[in-house]
Amino acid sequence: ATTRIGTPKRSIHMSNVVEELVFDKREILSTPTLKSKKSLIFNKEEEDIEKILQRVTPKKPAEKTPKRGRRSNSNYLKDSETPKTPKTPKTPSQKLKMLRSGELTPSFKEREKIDQSKSTKNILQLARECLHVSAVPLSLPCREKEFENIYTFLEDKIKDQCGGCMYISGVPGTGKTATVTGVIRALQKQVQEEALPTFDYLEINGMRLTEPRQAYVHIYRQLTGKTVTWEHAHTLLEKRFTTTSPRRMTTVLLVDELDILCNRRQDVVYNLLDWPTKTTARLVVITIANTMDLPERLLMSKVTSRLGLTRLTFQPYSHKQLQEIVTTRLSGSEAFKSEAIQLVARKVAAVSGDARRALDICRRATEIADSSKDKEICVNLLHVQQALSEMIASAKVQAIKNCSRLEQILLQAIAAEVARTGIEETFFMGVYAQLENIAHYSGGVLIPTIGQVLRLCSKLGAQRLIICEHSRNDIFQKILLNVSMDDIHYALKVTSDATT
Amino acid sequence: MNTGREEEELTPAEIIKVLNEMYPCRSDFIENLTALLLNIKESLPRALYIYGHSGTGKTVILKELLRLTKKSIAIKTSYVNCIECYTTKILLENILEDLCDNEDTDIHCENLKEFIELLKRFYAKLRQTNLIIVLDQAERIRDMDANMLPSLMRLQELAGLNVCVVLVGQISFEKYYAQNGLTDIITLHCCQYTKSEVLLILSNHFEVARNNLRRYITTQQLDKNDTKAKLHIVEKITMEFFNNYLNILLCVFYKACRDLPELKNTADVCFISYMKPVFNQEVDVTDAQKLWRNITPTLRTALTQIYMPSHNSAKEDKRLFVKHHGKKRNRLQNINAKAKVFEKRSTAIGPKTFTIDRLLAIFYAILDEKVGLTCNLLSQISTLVQLKLLSFVSGENNVMDGAARLQCTVGLEFVVFIGKVVGFNVRQYLCDFM
Repeated sequence: ATTRIGTPKRSIHMSNVVEELVFDKREILSTPTLKSKKSLIFNKEEEDIEKILQRVTPKKPAEKTPKRGRRSNSNYLKDSETPKTPKTPKTPSQKLKMLRSGELTPSFKEREKIDQSKSTKNILQLARECLHVSAVPLSLPCREKEFENIYTFLEDKIKDQCGGCMYISGVPGTGKTATVTGVIRALQKQVQEEALPTFDYLEINGMRLTEPRQAYVHIYRQLTGKTVTWEHAHTLLEKRFTTTSPRRMTTVLLVDELDILCNRRQDVVYNLLDWPTKTTARLVVITIANTMDLPERLLMSKVTSRLGLTRLTFQPYSHKQLQEIVTTRLSGSEAFKSEAIQLVARKVAAVSGDARRALDICRRATEIADSSKDKEICVNLLHVQQALSEMIASAKVQAIKNCSRLEQILLQAIAAEVARTGIEETFFMGVYAQLENIAHYSGGVLIPTIGQVLRLCSKLGAQRLIICEHSRNDIFQKILLNVSMDDIHYALKVTSDATT
Repeated sequence: MNTGREEEELTPAEIIKVLNEMYPCRSDFIENLTALLLNIKESLPRALYIYGHSGTGKTVILKELLRLTKKSIAIKTSYVNCIECYTTKILLENILEDLCDNEDTDIHCENLKEFIELLKRFYAKLRQTNLIIVLDQAERIRDMDANMLPSLMRLQELAGLNVCVVLVGQISFEKYYAQNGLTDIITLHCCQYTKSEVLLILSNHFEVARNNLRRYITTQQLDKNDTKAKLHIVEKITMEFFNNYLNILLCVFYKACRDLPELKNTADVCFISYMKPVFNQEVDVTDAQKLWRNITPTLRTALTQIYMPSHNSAKEDKRLFVKHHGKKRNRLQNINAKAKVFEKRSTAIGPKTFTIDRLLAIFYAILDEKVGLTCNLLSQISTLVQLKLLSFVSGENNVMDGAARLQCTVGLEFVVFIGKVVGFNVRQYLCDFM
């Protein structure tokens, strides 16, 4: 609903306009606007380029931090003050029209209160800011080789003035997008120093599209600032990339989350990868996805063949690399003990090698250290241990321990029924018979009615300790255990020992 | 009932009194209900579930309660039957029309979010107003959108208003729990009437029964003296006599049926035939013994018919219809019914399925004369399917390639009857009766 394009609907509500405002704002935050693009192309004002660079550099979540948001906001305010933009619109439909044509730039409401200055913050607060996932450093540590790889690829393509494709894969949190945007930043600096011909940089993210075909709309919007229907955008793009033009320059297109763009017909992916093969297009497409064998597994062979063999895989970080990432982030700060960082790095590297995860855990550890009110302001092993247990440990055993007596008996009954029949899927009737037995043996428990047990079932089902059907099937409903039997035995045995 | 009192405002105590008068033997239920819903000083419960068998007075009492409270104080009420609301939109708009009635504009509400927004906006200034929403036949809500029941049960919390959703159903609340769980709800049971309670309630109909008798006599158009004498007898009927009659009635009926409206109807109908011997001066009014003997056979036949209007399915209506008007189809009906019974080894299991080929084979085997396999014959099979005497079990889409399986839906008596009409002994072809 956020990308409303095509003919304007008769019933335009304010809420839609506001939605559009906010959405468009985000969209443009990470990508240059029309005017800035033009200035980039003609290389007129250096000031502008600085601004664009600032805007291009932050990673997507960057706009969430208030500081950056305000800075870019002021830019937009300045933009809207330029004489080119018309006066404020009178009606919502006028506003919508201007939004579509790109004359009106969406902006956020400014916060009235001023954030506290840096001097009033303590070490832990500063460390927390450094450790925030959105604060991407200018040069990523431990990704120098990949940076070099992508940089030479893009530099060659831009210098040779030809098109091409590259496929980058790797599990989440291995720095794929950050590295690519870093390369683009470095290239744009080269352009600024006139060591490289100018190029356009466009970026789309499959996750941000409501539908694969909306990719055309987003690409066209980044080229011209106008919002049109996808059919129109498609024909215009087709025309742009297939016809020769003397002043055509290289376009670099970054396609993030490629697998989302794959629909059954795969026409969008095909078009995006077919345009680079045209000599007139001068398009370089960099695609990013999580799975290494995506082209072979999901894509049609004609798409795979156009994707080419220039591939790059980002390996998950090892514990040493994670340690280095965190230490570079904290450079000079005394907030963390080195063994604390090492523990985080080893734990995360063993599970996923996700840098975001490591940073999150470190931030949680600083929060715990902050609240512990110790005199020494430093994160030690204990804080990290606690943060790890909060963020990694499973809560199922705790949940079983905190169930009511009858719920525990019901879980035991389901486990007993599974053990009796040897089939994972049990019927309510059998479970109820087991429950009666257990209640008899344990003594002091009034045997609940079937209605009460049905209610307990739905309660446990809502907590996902078991998986059950709608209770309209009453005694014939099927029940699956969603926790392992060992978890139940462990949780209940420990409690019974504690009580006796 | 008494229109004079409706105009003035009623306090909760008065409402209880009125309800108790109108609906005897429900004092516990009425007391619980009014304690929960009419306690203006305290906030309402967020959800209430009332359940009980049909004919126990759940809906009637609730409706009357809503009608009485409508006049009084700051209570806004809405009554919606969920069967009528086959989409969420209709349900929500019905509720809003009841609750937000001063607005002249049309109410448009597509989903629960808009519903809650509208409610909030309308009652923004009247935050303290008590809102009661009654949803009858609440079993249907389970079949609506999955978010419907959980959000209605938490409406008080979501809208921030003093609102209570009363669900009325026939099944216990255990049948409502979805996979994602529900919030807690207060349940209220409306139990069935005992025999003495039924007697008490029916005896309140004494006057009505007497009026019925009078009407019956006047419609008979007898000569003046006769009418006068009969009316005189009617005047002499006492409450005791009526209660005696009811006792006899319940002796027969109470075992089979406890549905109050049903019993009421039967009591009214049978009372006239009960009184007939008295009118004809064959039996004295005081001779209960004789009257009893007279009435019992009538009652027994009435007992068998008691469910006819309410429980006859459409299928059997069609059957009756075909029996009287479908003479030309008799031959095929006969044969095909035979095919069904032929399949059926034991009448208790239910009919087994068969293919059209087998049906035709049996048809030709049973029929003595040779009839050509014309399109008329085949079209009659499809007509029988349309009349629901036969039904498709599977393969409806490929009838022509022989994969379709049919099933016969008529009973044995019907088949035997057809057999008699055509002069053909069905039983001789049945394995069960051989």
